[in-house]
Formats: sequence, structure tokens, C-alpha cells
Amino acid sequence: MTILAEAEPSASPPSPEPNVIDPVSVAVRLRQPARSGIKERFSPTDPLPGWDLARHPRVARILHNRKFQFFLILPNQIIFWAVIFLGLLGTVVPGLNFATAITWYIWFCLVFVLMVVVGRGWCVMCPFGGFAEWIQRRALWQRAQHRLGLGKKMPEPLARYGFLLSVATFLVLTWIEEFFNIAGPGNPAFTSFMVIGIVASALIFFLVFERRSFCRYVCPLSALIGTVGAMGSVAGFRTRDRQVCLDCKTKDCMRGSEDGYGCPWYTWPGSADSNLSCGLCSECYKSCPEENVGLFLQKPLTSVVAPKRRRADVAWAVAALWGLVIFQQVNALGIYTTVDGWLNSHMDFPNYPNPVDYIGIIGLVTAITAGVVLVMSRLFGHRDAPARGDLANEGVESKDSFMQATSRFRSFFLPVAYGLIPVVGADYFARQLPKFFKHATRIVPAVENIFGAGSTSATLYNTHLLSNPGIVMVQVAVIALGTLASVWATWRISSRELAPIASRPLAARLSAVGLVVACGLAASILYVLMHAAS
Amino acid sequence: MSVMTLDDQRSQMSSPKVEILIDRCAGCQECVIRCPVGALGMDPVTWTALADSELCVGCRQCVRTCPFSAITVDGPMVLEPRVEISVRHPQHLAGSLSETRPGIASWDDALKEASRCLSCPDPTCVRGCPAHNDIPGFIAAISHGDLDEAHAVLARTTFLPDVCSRVCDQAIQCEGACSWSLAGGIPVAIGALERFVADNAPIPPLEQIGDGGKGLKVAVVGSGPAGIGAAWTLCQAGAQVSVFEKDAEPGGLLRWGIPDFTLPKAVERRCWDDLVSAGVQLRLGEEVRPDKLGELLEHHDAVVLANGAGNPIRLPVKGGDTEAIWDATRFLTSAREALAAGQSMVELLGQPQAPSSQEPPVVLVVGGGNTAMDVARLSRRLGAKAVCVDWMDRRFAPVRPDELEEAEAEGVEIRFSTTLASLEAGGDRPITAHLDGTRQDNPGELPKVVIHDVDALGVDLVVMAMGYRLDPSFAPLSPASPVYRRALSGIADRRWEASGILAVSAPEYARHQPVGRLSMGREEARVRAGLPAAERVWVAGDALVGPATVVEAMAQGRAAAHALLSDRRIARGPSSDQGARGALRVLVAYESRGGNTERVAKRIAELINIAAAKVTVAKLEQVHSADIAQADLVVVGTWVEGFVVAGVHVAARTRRWAAQLPWLGEKPLATFCTYGVSPKRALLELRETLESHGAKVVAEASFGPAATRRADKAPAVETFANTLLGMHDPNRMGGVRRIPR
Repeated sequence: MTILAEAEPSASPPSPEPNVIDPVSVAVRLRQPARSGIKERFSPTDPLPGWDLARHPRVARILHNRKFQFFLILPNQIIFWAVIFLGLLGTVVPGLNFATAITWYIWFCLVFVLMVVVGRGWCVMCPFGGFAEWIQRRALWQRAQHRLGLGKKMPEPLARYGFLLSVATFLVLTWIEEFFNIAGPGNPAFTSFMVIGIVASALIFFLVFERRSFCRYVCPLSALIGTVGAMGSVAGFRTRDRQVCLDCKTKDCMRGSEDGYGCPWYTWPGSADSNLSCGLCSECYKSCPEENVGLFLQKPLTSVVAPKRRRADVAWAVAALWGLVIFQQVNALGIYTTVDGWLNSHMDFPNYPNPVDYIGIIGLVTAITAGVVLVMSRLFGHRDAPARGDLANEGVESKDSFMQATSRFRSFFLPVAYGLIPVVGADYFARQLPKFFKHATRIVPAVENIFGAGSTSATLYNTHLLSNPGIVMVQVAVIALGTLASVWATWRISSRELAPIASRPLAARLSAVGLVVACGLAASILYVLMHAAS
Repeated sequence: MSVMTLDDQRSQMSSPKVEILIDRCAGCQECVIRCPVGALGMDPVTWTALADSELCVGCRQCVRTCPFSAITVDGPMVLEPRVEISVRHPQHLAGSLSETRPGIASWDDALKEASRCLSCPDPTCVRGCPAHNDIPGFIAAISHGDLDEAHAVLARTTFLPDVCSRVCDQAIQCEGACSWSLAGGIPVAIGALERFVADNAPIPPLEQIGDGGKGLKVAVVGSGPAGIGAAWTLCQAGAQVSVFEKDAEPGGLLRWGIPDFTLPKAVERRCWDDLVSAGVQLRLGEEVRPDKLGELLEHHDAVVLANGAGNPIRLPVKGGDTEAIWDATRFLTSAREALAAGQSMVELLGQPQAPSSQEPPVVLVVGGGNTAMDVARLSRRLGAKAVCVDWMDRRFAPVRPDELEEAEAEGVEIRFSTTLASLEAGGDRPITAHLDGTRQDNPGELPKVVIHDVDALGVDLVVMAMGYRLDPSFAPLSPASPVYRRALSGIADRRWEASGILAVSAPEYARHQPVGRLSMGREEARVRAGLPAAERVWVAGDALVGPATVVEAMAQGRAAAHALLSDRRIARGPSSDQGARGALRVLVAYESRGGNTERVAKRIAELINIAAAKVTVAKLEQVHSADIAQADLVVVGTWVEGFVVAGVHVAARTRRWAAQLPWLGEKPLATFCTYGVSPKRALLELRETLESHGAKVVAEASFGPAATRRADKAPAVETFANTLLGMHDPNRMGGVRRIPR
């Protein structure tokens, strides 16, 4: 079924007023936008009007101010340029170097907190994209008219895979980080090199491609923040009245106006149904001539549970990211060290991690997750049930692209993968906790060291906020919480999306929940084993 | 009668393939509402666009209009070839008065061509046309076989369909902006279809629309296209129009600037015959010099200056003080008369004897533009040999390719990358012209002389045809002229952007020119024509923008007339309906940082609104020339920056905004500011800037913390609003009123 636009309202154009100044409008006979089904489509994901932060005049004033994002980026900009210089010029003792301490003990944990609580909270203040965007716009905060760079579109063969390119860059970056033991913690200069690499690649992409193509497609953290951020309680910038957006003939929020740039993230507030690709930059809020955009809060997990549109790239991203975090747990086990060593000696590969086992484990976990869902779809899928999306595409040529393809497997996999988001997010968060609890306090001697004062004998250098068993308990608790959230989300999602297409709805729902619980258990057990191994 | 339908065409051609990049498609429906053939719909689950390639004709308007570049169309355009209209060169060129470009010959061809029009819901051709003719509207009427309806559609925006369809350079206007052209195809022959309407059905007589001009006595200076546009619009509104023309015949550039082989005399005369019979008073042989303007204003309620840009540019050349150098105007006028009288070039030059043997006279035309082509082609018709020299490279020459081709087909010799270095008397002809060779590597640079004295040419006459410029004596009356018709540097109007006309940087059909940007530049000039040059004086056409085109001049004349009709400062006769001008239109523009100025601005708007004025409130940066042109009174509010009492000025953004204002021609502006401790001289500085742009600052007020905090109750704000409403009376709109704090 396709919703077609309504026919032109009338064949004869209205007569212009005698003194009409703009006769163009007389000759414009736009079709009516399609509106049917819009309420059902968006009502589950539309935030409540009362949850619009921008209703408060103070918030509105801040969001209207063009310096809003600049002042969020500025502190991080200073910190990360300090990281670059101090990583290269400062002490080689990792625990005392500001670059290592701030990046790996503080920042990475905070990014995860921001993800879970806000969504793309980091993206709005990210100094890497922020710096490149300043250069691209030739302005720190002003609405400049002439951009720098080529302004190309992201090539379609890559863009059609959505966030998967970002997953790939994240896998590569993580491998590099493990290989060079950057966060291990290794030589602080490597942290600088990594940051320089990110800034340089961001700059290159910003100068070649338009808007925030880098953040949307390439940034290593984008897919992770986008998917895990779905748990967040900030819905992002959304329309206040969708009818106003549908009637809008100019779409300043997408094209940009004198007040703001067109959405750098390729998101339209009028149709956003999750916080997946809202960078919270507030440009749409600034440019809307109707003041029809608000900054909305939402209940946690809304962007996991409610969206009617399930994106294939997000589902596969969740599965692959799950594979990666499991790898990061498995790599602490003795058996892994044996296998990795064996592979390295046979392949003449210098050291951990061997790319074969790295990709192998991630691929295996991803495949097992998908395989379980495949079995579920075969066992419980209604043989005659149309695959999700088939109805929508009736009468239109076959949709064979990655994002549009439909199958019985996909009808199960996409919603189940969304349900996994909380447990995957919890696992990533738990994975960062040891560094935080063991080393966060090192930031104090690291800062002192910049001024020549800090040393490894400082009390805070060796202060652990929690003991190792305590950390494992917190990790398991975090996983348990994530699993609970996942169970709840999966139960809700499956009732709406699996039950109608399953021959045995209850069994299908229970098996989906079972998968989530199994994932949570696996992660928890691995943390206990990791602790035992260490 | 065989006309192919889209379905027939589809069955013969392979379909284009439409792909929607689902990742980026935001479901905004910009493509859906603009698709001419309804090939796009919405997927209700993903809420992204869905395309039906079977229906798609490949015009790619969806591609151009998608804000996120989420749609691609590959494959051919489902489009019939354009109806061929060949140029008709006269067999015996000498003495020929016949038109070289014919129109569409038959109804069959007209219908076939009309069927190529997609009737785009957001037609870019309409934006490409400087007059904004409803092109899909009149073409649809042709398709229905109703030429009267087609005329009725055209008559809403143009009075010169017969002229424009012959003389317009459609490639960089409507046809360059046609959807097919923007997609890389061959556009609908809009000009030829317009001409088909004009040639095959009588142009309807001038019809009175409303009585907004009743009781108004307006003088229009100049009877060229801009004067025609102004006189037509004013006459339609019931105004009493007198047109002052310095020549003995009306028409201006239409008469002396365009030869008969492009614009036959009958066509050129038609519009003035119609205007005169509609009641326009034509005062021929009456030149209005700048010093006479005051006198004109005494006897008229308003004046539209449409006296063109008729001062020919002359190349300073050594030995150029000879009588045998004519400018293009003199040549075109004399040659046209000579041709009509059956004379030859020898007689025109008044040469007593045939110069050296029986060889025809040689005319050297300096210039390679459209005027130069007209001069050369007329010379050929007078039996002379014509040589054009232009210092520009052929690739970058500002001449219409079709004109160049036609001129060359008629035997005109055109030497690009050549310039006239000097002239000397004598040789085998009365004058010897020494030519230099030039070189130009890219269109942005001026050509350089690289070879001296590359050739010496014996000629009988030299015609300087390098274009025209404004009459400098009128400069004080129109300080803003010439308004350059380039798109201003501001952010493009989103309505234009949404139509997709700006998405293609340079269509091939438009001779690789950015037709969208050109159109926006023309639009800006049209808006500027709506702003007065001084109180009760408007300038339009070439007099405003320098040498341009017939249709632009007509559109500007209309814009000036519309502005004049709605101007409240023009007193009308006792019989007129004062209400015809509608409510007082007030624009309140503000620059606010913390919300104080915004609060005051909105309160002022609210107070004025109560008094039944039509009030618009907008942020300063959103206010453009068009908004100012459409307001009777503009109120500008701003905050002041500075530290306590040091360095207090109006906000930098306001200063920047004011500095780039167009010439406002004594448009009434009121200003106010909000301040913390003291406004100091902020408003005075602002007034100076505004007045330097021709604004008339009629009231000023500054509001301190007490007034801004409680703007809804502050008496000072109320007093200011009441004073502004008092401006309703045109007699009170003088002098700056200071509102006590």
C-alpha cells in the first residue's frame, strides 16, 4: 500500500489580487501532502507536549542563542587539544599523563553515561566534529553563508548501509586501540595520535562532504551512541504540531534559514520517531519560522520500544556491537590468550589481537545472535504471514536494497535486535567501570603533573574507588539492570511486532525474552570469569 | 491531429529508474507534493517516499527539491522531441523587412509542443520568467484549444506577449528554468507557444481591474517597455496616466533598438495603440530632464521614471574624431528609416559617389553583443558588408548563440579576440581601421592585447555598438541606480530553493549559466523597483538596473506601479475611495538578544493591530527588501550594546542590517531601542545610517528597564504606538518625533 498525495485541489488557479506583488504564488499548485495514517504512525513515539523543555522561556532563550552549541563544544575542545599536546609532550607514565587519564578513565565512562541518559548528548558537545564543523562553516557560531569545502553528498553505495560504516570504523578503531594498547594504558603519545587521527579524518570528511556526513556515517562512535542512546530520556528536537510541518512549504529546518543551518544530521523534526539521529544541535529549533520545534524529553527506552520503523542498519549494528563487547570480555580469559598466541605464532603476526580471532569472535557472536533469531523465525514464523513491509510495498517495484529488503527472518530479527539494545548498552557501560573505579582518581595527580607536581607516589594515584570484587558486583548489577530493561522492552516489542506474525505468539515472545536473558547471563558470567582470570 | 500522450511516449521509451535512499529520506514529502506526474507516494510504515518508476517521466524535480539528497533518478527522460522551428533567412537580403524567426506553424505542432509541458506543481519556469507569467496555465489552455483563455492567463502578468515571445532570450529565462532543461533535456518551447497564442488570437483589450488608482494622476517618463508596464498597470487600476516620450513616436527601445526582422513594426505599435485607446495620454516629443521633475510632481500625484539607459558607450580610439563614427542608436534609428524608405547604405551615408569601384560599402561594428549583431544585420540589409570586432574570446562573448548563428548565416563577418586600435583617414576606403589581436583565457578576466596591428581594414563607417549606460544627469534622482541584477549574497529564499531552480548550477540549455541565480537576481531588481527613489517617485526598467531586457523592464514597471498604487503618502482626489488602499501595513522588525526588545516589539505590534492596521512582526535578519517594499511604515527595534555608559551603540547585527539596506526613497521608518542604563547616541547613529539609505525616520523612542520589563503595561510603549498610528495621516509624516522616556 502506498499512500498517494491527494489530487490537485482545483484545476483553475485562483485569480490574483489586483495589486499582488508576488505573482509566482498564483502559478504554484502543489499537491496536498499525504496525511492518512499519520496519527497511528507517529502517536506511539510522539512525546507529550508537556515534556517540551523549550516551553520554558529560559531554555528557549538558550536554544535560540547561536552560541548554544559553541559553548558546549568549547570546554571539550580545550580538553582535547590539551590531550593532543600533553600526550605528545607530557610524561610517558600513562597513569600520570593527562591525555591517558582524562580520555580513558573519565571521558569514555562519561560518554556512556550521556548515551544512556541523554542519547546523543556527547554529539552536541563533541570537539572532533565540532572543530571540523567550525572550519566547514567558517564560523564558530554565526550563521555563515559560504561554507568551505566541496559539499559532496555521501556516496550512495556507502550511505545505503546507514550506520554500518560507523560500526566498521568502530571495529577498526577498537582493534587499533587493542593492538597498540592505547587505553591499556599504553604510551600516552598513542592517545594523542588517535585523537589527531580522529580530528584529521573528521576534518577531511567535513571538507569533502556536506553537513555532518562524517558524524552520520563515519564517526566510530556514531552507531554506538545512536543505538545505545535509544535508551536515553531525551527525545531530541521534534515537531510540536505535525500538521504545521506538513503544510510548511519551505522546510527551513532542513534547508536552513537566516537563523539556523539545515539539519546537519539529515533529520526532519516532522518525522523523527526516535532520538537515533538527532544531534541535539538545535539548528532546526533556530531555523523554524513557525516556532514549531521543541526539545522534548521522553520516558527511558521509548526510542527502543516505540518506533514503528525498524531499521535494518540499526539491528545489525546492535548485533555487531554485541559481538565486539563480548570479544572485549572474552579477551581477558586464559583460553583466548592461548588461541590468540597460537594464531599469532602460526601467522607470524606480532601480537594481540590477531585480526582473525578478533573478526572471528565478533562475527561468531553476531552470527549466533542472528542464527537464534533465524531459528525462532523458522519455528514460530507464520508461514503465510506477509513479511514486514510487504504490504507497504505492494504495487511498487521490488525493494532489494539493504534497508528495504523484507523477509520472514528480518520480520523477527529487526524487533528482537532493538530489544537487545539495553543489555548491549549495559554491557558496554559495565566494561568501562573497572577503569573508572580503579583509576578515575588519577586525574588529580595527572593534572598536577602538568605543573610538575604529580607523581606515582601520590595517594590518589593508587586509590581505587572500589575493590575488584566490588567492581564485579557493580558490573553484574549493571548487566542485571540492562537485562531487566531488555526483557521489558522485548516483551513490549514482541507483543506488537512478533505476535501478529507468529504461528505461536506466546512461544515467539518467550523465546525472544529468552534470548535477551541468555545474553544478559552470558555477559554476567563472563565478568565473573574475567575477574577470576585476572 | 496526432498528439502523443505520456502513456504513448512511455510505451516507446525505457522508463527512468527512481531510487530513494531510505537511510536519508525523512518523509518530508517535498518531492511528493511537487512530482508533476504523481509518481511518488509515502510508505505508511517507514514513512519514507515510495516511487513508482512506471509513472516517472524522468524530469528529476524530486532530485532537485529533496532537502537531504535522498532521491536519485537514472535513465532517460520520457519526452518527445521539441517541435522544430527553423529560421527563415530572406533569399534577397538587401532591402528585406521580413521577420526571420517564424512561429509555430500549425495547431498540430502547437498541441504537440504543449503536450511536452508537465504542468509542474511548483513550476520553475514561472520563476525563470521575469514577469512570472503562469506558463503551465497558459500552456494548459492551449492544450484545451482555448487561446482566449491562454490570453486571459497571460494578461494577468504581461501586456506584451507578442513582443516578449519574439525578443526574449528564453534560454536564460523561462526555458532555461524549465524542468526538462534543469534535468539536462530540451525544454518546452515556451516562447514559441506564447507567440502562437499572440499570433493566432487577438490580444484582449486592456481591462480595468479594481479602482485602486482612481483619482490618481501619474506621469510616466519614457514609453519603452518599463513605461508600458507601468502605464498598463496604472491604467488597469483606473489611474489617469500621462506618458512623456522625448521622441516623435512611442515605444522607446522597442522602436529604435530592435530591428524589424526581429520585431515587426505592426507588433511594436500594437501595445501603444491599445494603451492610447484605453485612455493613456501620450505626450510625444516632450523630454523630461531632471530639472523638470519638480514641475512634473506639482502637476501629478506621482512619477515613474522609465527613461531607459540610452547613453551609448564609446570606445576611446586614436583618430576617432571622425564623422564616420556613429553610435548604435543613431545607426539603428537611421538604418531602420532608410530601410523602410527603400534606401541603401550608400544613400544612408550620403556618399556622393560609389566609393572606389562598385564594391559595397564596409561597416565596421565595434562590439560583439546582440546590439552589434542587429547593427551588422541591418547593414547587410542595406547592401553593405559588415565586419564585427569584439575583444572577447568567442567562447565567452555575451551574444545569444542563435543571433550569432543567424548573423553569420546572413554573411556578417565576426572577428572575436580582435579590437579596434586606431583609425586613420584615407586608404582604399574613407577610413582605415587598425586592429589588434587579443587573448582571453577565462570568462572572468579582461582580454589582453597580444598582437599589435594584426590587420588594417578599409571601412566606410564605424559603428560603436558596445552597449549603453544610464544617463548620468539622472543619477541624483535615482541614487541607487544601477541596481546590479546579481543575486544578493544573502541566504536564498527557501520558496525558490524548494522549487529546485537553484539546485542546478548551470544547465546546458541555458548556455551553462546558473539560471536560478540569474532569476533571483532579476527578482531582486523587481523588488527594488517597488521601492521608491524619492517620495512619490519610482524608477523602473533600464533606468534602474542599466541595460537589461524588455520583459524585465516591463515587470519592473509593473512593480513600481503596484507600489505606487498602494503607497499611502500619495493623496488622491476627492472622488477616490481611500479605503481601496487597504489597511495601514506596518512591519515591526526587531533585533533582540535577551527577549526585551522582542517583548516591546510584540507589544507595539499588538497596540497597532488593535487599531486595525495590518501588522507583521519579524526578526531583523528575516526582513528583506521585498518586506520593506510592501510596508507603509517600518518600525525597527534593537537592543543597545556597550558597557554601562561606555561604547553604547545599537547592536552590531542591527548596524550590519542597516548598512546593507537598499535605497529606501523616503520610506517612513520609526526606530526604538531598549537599554539598561542609557541609550546614549545609539538611535542617532542608527538614524544617520538609515537616512544615508534614503529612509525617512519619522519617530524614535528608547525604552529603559522599567518599560521593557513590563512592556504590556508601559505607558511609554503605548504612547509610541499611538504616535505611529497618528502617522496614518500622510500630512503628519514629517519630522522626527521624539517620544519622552
